[in-house]
Amino acid sequence: MNKFSRLLLAPIKGSEELAERFLFHHRLTVLSVFTVLTLLLAWQAVQIRPDASFVKMIPSAHPYVENYLKNRDDLAGLGNSIRVAVAVKEGDIFTADYQQTLQKITDELFFIPGVDRSALTSIWTPNVRWTEVTEDGFVGGPVIPPEYDGSAASLEQVKLNILRSGQVGRLVANDFRSAIVQVPLFDKHPDSGEKLDYQALSQQLETLIRDKYQSDKVTVHITGFAKIVGDLIDGAAQVAVFFAIALLITLVLLYLYSRSMTATLVPLACSVIAVIWQLGLLKLLGFGLDPYSMLVPFLVFAIAVSHGVQIVNTIALESARGAPRWLAARRAFRALYIPGLTALLSDGIGFVTLMVIDIRVIQDLAIAASLGIAVIILTNLFLLPVIMSLLGIGERATQRALKATQKPSTYWRRLTWFTTPVGARAAVSIAGVLLIAGLYQGQALQIGDLDSGAPELRADSRYNLDNRFITQHYSTSSDAFVVMVGTEKDHCSSFNTLSLVDRFQYYLTNIEGVQSSVSLVDVSKRVTSGLNEGNLKWRAISRNQLIINASLAYVPAGLMNPSCSLLPVIIFLDDHKAETLQRLTGQIEQFAHRYDSEQIRFEMAAGNAGFEAATNEVIGIAQYQMLAWVYGVVGLLCLLTFRSLKTLICIIAPLALTSILCQALMASLGIGVKVATLPVIALGVGIGVDYGIYIYSKLNTYLVQGMALSEAYLNTLKTTGKSVAFTGLTLAIGVVLWVFSPIKFQADMGILLTFMFLWNMLGALILIPALACLLKCDATAAALKSTHQSEVHDAVK
Amino acid sequence: MIIIGNSMASIRSLIHCFALAVLCGSHGVSAEAIADRLNTPAFMSSHAEQRLMLDITAQGHQLVAVGDHGIVLRSTDQGQHWQQQATPFSVMLTSIFSTDQQHAWLTGHDGLLAVSHDGGVSWTPSLDGHQINQLRLQRLQANVSALKARVDAEPENALLAEQLDDAAWYADDAAMAVEEGPSIPLLDVWFANRQRGFALGAYGLLLKTDDGGENWVYWGDRLENPDNFHLHAIRLDHRGYLYIAGEAGLLFRSVDGGERWTRIVTPYDGSFFSITEFQQQLFLMGLRGHLYRSEDGLDWQAVNTGDKATLLGAVVDAQKLLLLGQGGLLLQSSDGQHFTRLDSGERRSMSAGVAVDGGYILAGEGGLLSVESEHE
Repeated sequence: MNKFSRLLLAPIKGSEELAERFLFHHRLTVLSVFTVLTLLLAWQAVQIRPDASFVKMIPSAHPYVENYLKNRDDLAGLGNSIRVAVAVKEGDIFTADYQQTLQKITDELFFIPGVDRSALTSIWTPNVRWTEVTEDGFVGGPVIPPEYDGSAASLEQVKLNILRSGQVGRLVANDFRSAIVQVPLFDKHPDSGEKLDYQALSQQLETLIRDKYQSDKVTVHITGFAKIVGDLIDGAAQVAVFFAIALLITLVLLYLYSRSMTATLVPLACSVIAVIWQLGLLKLLGFGLDPYSMLVPFLVFAIAVSHGVQIVNTIALESARGAPRWLAARRAFRALYIPGLTALLSDGIGFVTLMVIDIRVIQDLAIAASLGIAVIILTNLFLLPVIMSLLGIGERATQRALKATQKPSTYWRRLTWFTTPVGARAAVSIAGVLLIAGLYQGQALQIGDLDSGAPELRADSRYNLDNRFITQHYSTSSDAFVVMVGTEKDHCSSFNTLSLVDRFQYYLTNIEGVQSSVSLVDVSKRVTSGLNEGNLKWRAISRNQLIINASLAYVPAGLMNPSCSLLPVIIFLDDHKAETLQRLTGQIEQFAHRYDSEQIRFEMAAGNAGFEAATNEVIGIAQYQMLAWVYGVVGLLCLLTFRSLKTLICIIAPLALTSILCQALMASLGIGVKVATLPVIALGVGIGVDYGIYIYSKLNTYLVQGMALSEAYLNTLKTTGKSVAFTGLTLAIGVVLWVFSPIKFQADMGILLTFMFLWNMLGALILIPALACLLKCDATAAALKSTHQSEVHDAVK
Repeated sequence: MIIIGNSMASIRSLIHCFALAVLCGSHGVSAEAIADRLNTPAFMSSHAEQRLMLDITAQGHQLVAVGDHGIVLRSTDQGQHWQQQATPFSVMLTSIFSTDQQHAWLTGHDGLLAVSHDGGVSWTPSLDGHQINQLRLQRLQANVSALKARVDAEPENALLAEQLDDAAWYADDAAMAVEEGPSIPLLDVWFANRQRGFALGAYGLLLKTDDGGENWVYWGDRLENPDNFHLHAIRLDHRGYLYIAGEAGLLFRSVDGGERWTRIVTPYDGSFFSITEFQQQLFLMGLRGHLYRSEDGLDWQAVNTGDKATLLGAVVDAQKLLLLGQGGLLLQSSDGQHFTRLDSGERRSMSAGVAVDGGYILAGEGGLLSVESEHE
């Protein structure tokens, strides 16, 4: 073990000397290289653009998504479309004014880039027709008659046609006070190959439709995935404001803490440089900023400040001991190089473990965050001491640090109670109780979204209000789960296929949470009944293929593919809660298992609820994988650094408690584990381990020097402990602002990160000494001391 | 050597398995995939009473309803609770008729005709579309043979020759139907007693039994229905005359219990979906709100209900006549001349119903619906 760890740590230790010599001997070169790079990357960073892609937010390797991607071209309109509801404030939609507005909006939407024009439907498009059975057979026509002139008589005709079209509840509200324009979108334009620009589309919908047509008579409601993404991007842009506020708060707190302009501005500047580098590198690597990784720059800043404060604090202490500015900086570098690097590596690796989750946005977040951590090593571990060696910490800060070390702090002394056996037992018992309570409460933790509408946004956001409007006034819910029924070519409408799908749809009605379902079967049944004069006894799939073919002479878009080898079954659900989806997929799997054959396959899944189901499955597995990885890696790093199992327990136990309490908090706040919240736990562990490593390594230093535990701890508190407490508070105050984000998941992340920052800090300050006392780490320290000596001995040899 | 022997054996068994897998696998699987709805047991659903239901009847103290996907429902508490009965078929069931407390018949798509001898609990198929196709072919071919014999006897009779031509054409048509498979739905069934009954359906299909369903004969050639229009409903009036209503203004009457049928001219050439009797008057109803009334079954007068929705069925009790129309239309009358709209708040079409205490249980889109009667 020792040999192994020495082998691993040797490069780090060796590099320390090399790095130190290089940095402090070529300070001006270092500074100019950093300046040039910062300017170059800043130029890149300002060019970074918000980015969102439908496919990136779903787990692309999940079988559901693979099935969807395989059939994507045939499912056009099912994957991605928006609905624009135009509602009257008074009266109903049968006025010339309203109809004119609806017509104009339909036309306007037709010309917005990215719209699949051929599949656009509203009562004003010719593909929406009415039919009726008479003694002479079927008669029908477009809902808006060709001779429409806005007169009372033609409005009456429109009303009649709507009633005969079967569109009430679909394109026309059940209360006749609004109508919908259904707008399918191309994710990628078939001709130009251009990707859909969600932000541009969302803005056009606002300016060309909502702002232009919404009046004191008419309101416009827009829903659909594209609109959610547009709103998310707009909302995420507000992170910039939070960033500015956090910067300001950190500035003030840093100054109050250090009373030195340089000790305030230099760490801040280095941290901002870290953010600039991170963004610039992301842009260079071809990434954009999606709503989920929009928070990463903030996180990078926060971590950078935390490390910066440690360094500046150590420099102040060294200065107080009388070292000149360059020596103080150099000593600080030497003292913090290994714990800093270890801590940052644990952070970085903690974030990298997010790569095991097969969802592109999370992987992108992992890349962005670990890139940021790598950058912090350069900016705050290397650049910061170099700058400080030139500028110095200032007389006032030095005096303050001196006073602080000499003053017998009653304030900190209280905390040493936890190093006494009684205090330690008390702390650990309370932690134990919390652990049990946390585990108990955490059982209620759910996977996936727990709210209706678009849970990414707040319940009272305009989008969710619009969505509620549409769900309330129309019969089709916004939670659609699509099963793709694959057959041989030209067999999608054969009697065997349709009769099995008919049975499937009937089977679905028995599953709790299923509202209704629609497929080619419904078209065939309805038209077959129509061909037989509307007789209900004919509302079945005929066994006569000729009748089936006749019944499918006119099929609405999206219910079969051109080669007739695919027929989607669209299932409308009460909600998209994880439980509902799990029940549904389980039941469908059973059906598929029983009836799948060479001729017919029931494949899941498309539709927003389908992707949600896939995402939930991936996340459900990934959350444990991720925890195992993150704790495994962080634990191994600690073990390598401190070479003691007891130390490992001292550092990891508080983190684990925080993770468990965080899950309990999520459960009690009704926050589910989802794309947005899953990374938080990994981030929390990554950041929390910093505290532990810094505190423990300092404590260890004092123990090795032969101090008793409580004395060693008091000294630790006065130095590192102080800055840990400070950074914990600063970071928490910074992220707490996210609670005000218009985006629900950012608010959730804000709450959870604040909680984790604070608890990790408390855990590090209270539980580490308590555990150290109970586990008798003094002995370990003694052992360590001897190894340390033998190492030195080895080195001398 | 042992190794070689083993591997040979395993290769052989592998090939064997493979062949089996291909044969049995594909066979087994495809058999399941194209599981015929005629003999696939109905899926037992906890919400079966919310599916499309098409007919309902009172049998003693209980109610029995039939509908889509082979659903048979029984209620012993006047329609408050329903229990789905296990049935060995899952085709759409279109009508039900009970001959007494124990015995009942039902019809369905794909020519299904099934019987229950235990009060609607268990059902056994009596006929299916395959057998019906054969019955029709046999009957029509027999007609051709009989006519051939007569033509041979009197070769100069041009009328007979023409009849033979027609009969041959219908026989060919029946032969083709055999190829097409059991695609003709049965739409209504009626029994005079436990022995004698009729079932009818699409394309002029009429069947008769005189031995409680042991043997059926094709009887459609007894109707003057050259275009093979659909037959929708069969009904007995208080004088013992039988009526069959159908597509394109068809109405047939039999005064001898169904042996011979005569066509009655009606004032309408659209479809009639139902015929019923209320206070000894006959009511014939159909497409686009057409309703006719007759005292004698021969002379029909139009009744204006003021509504244009297609009428699919009717419920009769001693005091009231209730007409069931498309789009949830319910028209109630106590004299058969003046109708008032019952507002059930429903937009779904209803096709059949029974009277219960204080109201009706109706069958239609969205399942079974309980409606209160209008009190005057």
